[in-house]
Amino acid sequence: MSCDRVRRQLTSYLDGELEGSDGSVVRGHLRECAACREVAGEEAMLRDQLRQLPTLDPPPSLWAGVQAQLAAAEVADAKRPAWRRALARWAPVAPRFAAGTLVAAAAVGVLWWRSHRGSADEVPTAPSRDLAVVPAPAPAPAPSPPPPANDLAAGCAPGAASAAGGEITADLAGEAARVTASYCDAAEDLLVLAGEARLQWTDEQRAAFDTKVTELRGQIDRAIAGRPRQRAWRELITYLQRAVVRDDVALAGGGQ
Amino acid sequence: MEMLYHQYKRRVFGMAHRIVGASDAEEVAQEVFVRVFRALVNFRGDSALSTWIYRLTVNASLSHLAKRGRRHEVSDDGLSELPAPPAVERDSGLAARIEAALGRLPAGYRAILVLHDVEGLSHEECAAILECRVGTCKSQLHKARARMRELLGDIREPMATPTKERA
Repeated sequence: MSCDRVRRQLTSYLDGELEGSDGSVVRGHLRECAACREVAGEEAMLRDQLRQLPTLDPPPSLWAGVQAQLAAAEVADAKRPAWRRALARWAPVAPRFAAGTLVAAAAVGVLWWRSHRGSADEVPTAPSRDLAVVPAPAPAPAPSPPPPANDLAAGCAPGAASAAGGEITADLAGEAARVTASYCDAAEDLLVLAGEARLQWTDEQRAAFDTKVTELRGQIDRAIAGRPRQRAWRELITYLQRAVVRDDVALAGGGQ
Repeated sequence: MEMLYHQYKRRVFGMAHRIVGASDAEEVAQEVFVRVFRALVNFRGDSALSTWIYRLTVNASLSHLAKRGRRHEVSDDGLSELPAPPAVERDSGLAARIEAALGRLPAGYRAILVLHDVEGLSHEECAAILECRVGTCKSQLHKARARMRELLGDIREPMATPTKERA
C-alpha cells in the first residue's frame, strides 16, 4: 500500500474505525515506513491534544443576556398585530401548507378542465348542415338535391348527453359519447360528398342509395347507446364511403 | 428552561468560542439559546435535542463568521487576529498553539474539528449536525487535521514564537 493511500486512511485508523484487514494493512505499513509513522504520531498527538482542550465555562452574563433577549422578544411579540403573530405561528408549517394548497389547486384545475373539456366534446349541438331524411325520388328528370339527414342530428345526441354532467365519474361514459359524436360528424361529411356524387348517378342508384341510407339510419336510431349504436354508425359510414367512390355493388342496394 | 440552559451552556459556548472566537462567543451563544427557547415548541424531534441544539450552534457560528466577513483562514500572519484561547495553565504552550491554529483554519474545518475532536461527538452525530454524509464528515476531518498539522509545524516542538497576548 502506498504512503498516500495510508495517509488518507490515517484519520480513520487512529480513530479506530478501520476494521479487519484494512487496519492490519495500515498498521503493517506504519511498522515499516518511518515517514508515515511520524505523520501518524503527529496526528495522534494533535487529536489527543484537541480532546484535552479544556471545557469552557460561559460567563455568568450569558444567562442574563438570554433572559433579557427572550423578554425583549416577548414584548415585541405582544406589540405585533394579531395577524402577524398568527403568521408567525404558521411559519413553521407554511411550506407544507403552501405545497398542499398548490396540490389542491392543481387538482381542482385538472378536474375543472377535464369536466369542461368533456362537456365541450360532448356538446350534442345540431349539425349546421341540414341532413334531413332522404326524400322520395323526384319524378322530374333533374337530379334530386343532396340527401338531407335530419335524423342524424338526433342520432348524435343521445349518447353524448348522458355524459354532460361534468363529473369526473361520468368521464368514461362521456368517452363513448364522444366516439359516437365523431362517427356522426364523419357520416355528415360523407353525406355531403354523396350529395355531390349522386348528381352522376342513375335514378335507380339514387333510389337504392336513399333506401339503404334510410334503413341504416333506422338501425342507428334503434340501437342502444354505446357500442351497438357505434357499430350502426360504422355501418352507415362504410356504406357511404363505398357509395362515394361509386361502388356499384353498394349503389345496387346490397351495400354489404 | 433554565435546566436546559445549564445542561448545554458549556458545549454551546465552547463550540461558539472555538468557531467564532472569544470576542463574539457570548453573543453567538446568546443567540443560540434564544433561538432554542423560542423554537422549542416547534421542535419536531426529527433528531436528538442535542443534535438540534448543536446544529443551531454551528449554523449560528458560521453565519456570524460570514456576516462578520472574517477571513482568518486566508491570513497566515494573523496570530493577533486569533480568537482568545481559554486560560490554559497545564501545558499552556501547546494548548495555546493548538487554539491559535484552530482559529486560523477555514471555518468548515474548524467546525468539524471542534465537533469531533474537541467535543468528542461521533461521525454520525457530526454528520447530522452539519447535515452532510458520514463519509464527507470523515473526509473533512482528515483534511482539517492535515491542515492543522501544517499550521502547527512540528507539534512536538516547543513553541518557538510566543503568541501575542490575547484579550
